Parts: sequence; structure tokens; C-alpha cells
Amino acid sequence: MLASLFISLQLALVTTVILLLLAFPLAYLLAFKSFRGRTLLEVVVALPLVLPPTVLGYFVLLMIAPDSALGSAWQSVFDSSLAFSFSGMVLASVLYSLPFAVQPMQQALRAIPSNWLEMARTQGLNFKQTLLQVMLPAAKGGVLVAAALSFAHTMGEFGVVLMVGGSIPGETKVASIALFEFVEMQHQSEAWMLALILLAVSFVMLSLVYSVNRKGPNLGVAK
Amino acid sequence: MNNSMQITARFGTLHLQAESVFADGITIVSGENGAGKTSLLRCLAGLEKAQGQIIVGGQAWLDSDGGFIASPEARRIGCVWADVALLPWLSVEKNIMLGADNIAREKLKPWMSLLSEHLEIVHLLKRKTHVLSSGEAQRIALARAIYRKPAALLLDEPFSAQAPAVRQRLRKALQTIQKALNIPVIMVSHDADDAKILADQHWHMREGKLLTALSRHSPAEGDLEGLTKVVNDE
Repeated sequence: MLASLFISLQLALVTTVILLLLAFPLAYLLAFKSFRGRTLLEVVVALPLVLPPTVLGYFVLLMIAPDSALGSAWQSVFDSSLAFSFSGMVLASVLYSLPFAVQPMQQALRAIPSNWLEMARTQGLNFKQTLLQVMLPAAKGGVLVAAALSFAHTMGEFGVVLMVGGSIPGETKVASIALFEFVEMQHQSEAWMLALILLAVSFVMLSLVYSVNRKGPNLGVAK
Repeated sequence: MNNSMQITARFGTLHLQAESVFADGITIVSGENGAGKTSLLRCLAGLEKAQGQIIVGGQAWLDSDGGFIASPEARRIGCVWADVALLPWLSVEKNIMLGADNIAREKLKPWMSLLSEHLEIVHLLKRKTHVLSSGEAQRIALARAIYRKPAALLLDEPFSAQAPAVRQRLRKALQTIQKALNIPVIMVSHDADDAKILADQHWHMREGKLLTALSRHSPAEGDLEGLTKVVNDE
């Protein structure tokens, strides 16, 4: 039980870190730029919201199968299979939680008063300075919400990780799958404990999200 | 040094047209609401697209025939707009020094204390921005614009939130600062006293056009005080 929880936490943590780094540029593009293929990008980012997790998991599995381009490249570099591995689950989780990371940050960036961005330009701030000294502090709430939602959503996934990870004990069997198996085997007390822990994690994460949202996407700094 | 601009731009129904050669010094821009004063400042700042040429302090800012447009961040300007845009997570002091690295901050220390005294903000430097009155916030925005010793100042009614007595002292301060930096200061103002006391040059705008450009130092072009009177009567 502890092993599966540990894997879930690890997966959620790694996924969240990768997601924030990947989703911020996407959120920036979607918040400020108009370009060809913008709608397509928005649709692709939002797809995991409506797609059955097993469908997403199935496509990821095809993508990382040992005979696929990505799968065989991974095999030759790391000498291990990407399918049914922790890394494979990370890849699937990143895709699965992408909208939960992109959308809050996109909204927070869009909510930055244009006066502030113009002020940054006329004060001679370059892009990096504007990003670090104006945009990120102003959109801090959105980044926090993105992190909390990505983490909680990854902790809670089932279909995708089952499909891609294959529930290998100690390797890819995460807490949500372990819970399912406890119930199937009628191990009531373990199931009860695990369910309670997962509930608590989700509760804490959502409390964080709502307390941030109450202050607005800019954490109350933009009035 | 002589600076020049010859620009046209379109903002909806407003057709902006402005041409002037102007010396370093304070230029007051007057005109009714909607005459294009703020639009003119935004074109000078590079925040709006314009056609034509702008040369300030020997630097080309715009040469649309040559396909050259300097970005706002490349123009080394200081701006004060109607919205002061102070960042609420920074102290007053850090707002003023925004964008300057530690080396620059060290170098600008004497300038900063001089500035703070002239603009009467010394007692505010350590404060958070949300406790400021609108007049105080406006003086902070002015300090931020001047802090990095810009090549030009673009001020949109920078004293509008000040009490008359403070306004009087700020005019003196602005003159002192202009002389210290020796740069062009373009200042939109509805206050007749600003024109009377400060204007080395006077631009009057109507319906997007810069109608008259008068200079204190070239009486041949007209009588500045006379114009100020005309403008006020309008």
C-alpha cells in the first residue's frame, strides 16, 4: 500500500514539475499571441478534458510501444522499455493533465493589466526582465493553481496509468489502482485507508485552489 | 540638440498628424479632449504604430521609409500615463528602481536621493503601494520615469492629482530635472499655469493635428504667452 502511494506521489510530483515548465510557454502563446493553428493548439490542449482516459492511454501506448519510433529510440538509448515503465506513465500523465496546467496560467496571464506590460516596455525592461519581474509575480496565482490541479489530477488518474503502466507492483502500480485491487480482493481496511488518504490529498489541493481563486487569477494583486 | 518628428497615424476616426522640430526643453501639449494628445505621446513612446520619422537626442526612433522602428524598450524614455501602473507586490522604492540591476542601483544612488527630495517622496520609499494617495502614486510614477536618466520624458498630465501648492513645487522640480538631464520633455497638460511657467515650446492640437508649434526662444514664430492665452480661451 505504501509503495503504491509513494509511486503516486512521485508520479504526481515529476509530472507537475514537467507540466509547469511545458505549459507556461503554451499558456503564454495562447494568452498573448495570435498565430496560425492557434485554435488547433487550444483544442489539442483541451482534449484530455473530454477524452475517455482509456482512449488517451491507448494512443500513448501505441506511441511508446517497443516497435514505435519513440519506443525503439527510448529502448536503444536507455536500454529499457518505455511502455509499462514509470517514464511512460510520466509522459501519459503530462498529456492527460495538460489542460489543468495550461488553462489557469493562460487566464492569469491574460488578466495582467496591459498598462503593466506597457509600463515594463517603456521602462526599458527586456523580455526576460518582464517575464521574471512583472509577468510571473502577477500570474503567481495561476501558476499555483496550475500546480495544485496538475498534482491532484495526476494523483487521481486511473485509466491512463493502468493502460500505459500496466500495474506492475513496486514500479507502476499507483495508489488509485492499488485501491481498486484491494476492493476486488475484499481487503476492506487497506482500501478504506488508501481511499481516505487520496480523499485528503484532493481535499487539500482543492482548498488551495479555491483560496487562491477567491483572490482572483492574479492573487489579488491586479485590482 | 534639435529633435524632430514628422508623423501620421490613424486611430479609428482620429487622423493624427504632427510635425515639429523641437529643442531639448519642456514642451507643453494642449488641446481639447480627443484632440490626440495621448495618442501623440503613445506614438512617440513606440506603443502605437505611426508613419514618418522621429529623431530624438540624435537617435532615430522611427524611419518608416527606411523600414525602421525602435521598440519602446529601445527608446530610453521615461513615461507617466494617466494610469500610474505601480506594481503592488513591490515597495515604492523597488517600483522606482524596476529593471535596474544592482550595479545600476549603486551607481544611481545619489541621483535617487536627489530625485526623491525634489519629488517629495523620501518618506514614502519604504512603503507598500496600496497605502499611497493618488497624488503620491503619481509622484512615484514620475520618479520611476526619471530614475534611469532617460533620453526623453513623455508625461501625460503628470500633476493632475496634485494639490495646487505641491503642483507649484513640482513644476520647479521638473525644470531642475530637465536642466540636469538636458533632454526633451513632452508634457500634456490642461493647466494654463503649466504652459505659462514651464513651456519652452508649446504644441496645440485639434482633431488629431498639431496646429501650432511655438518656441519661447524663437519669437519670430509667434508669441508664446499669446498662444497660451488663445489656447485657454478656446
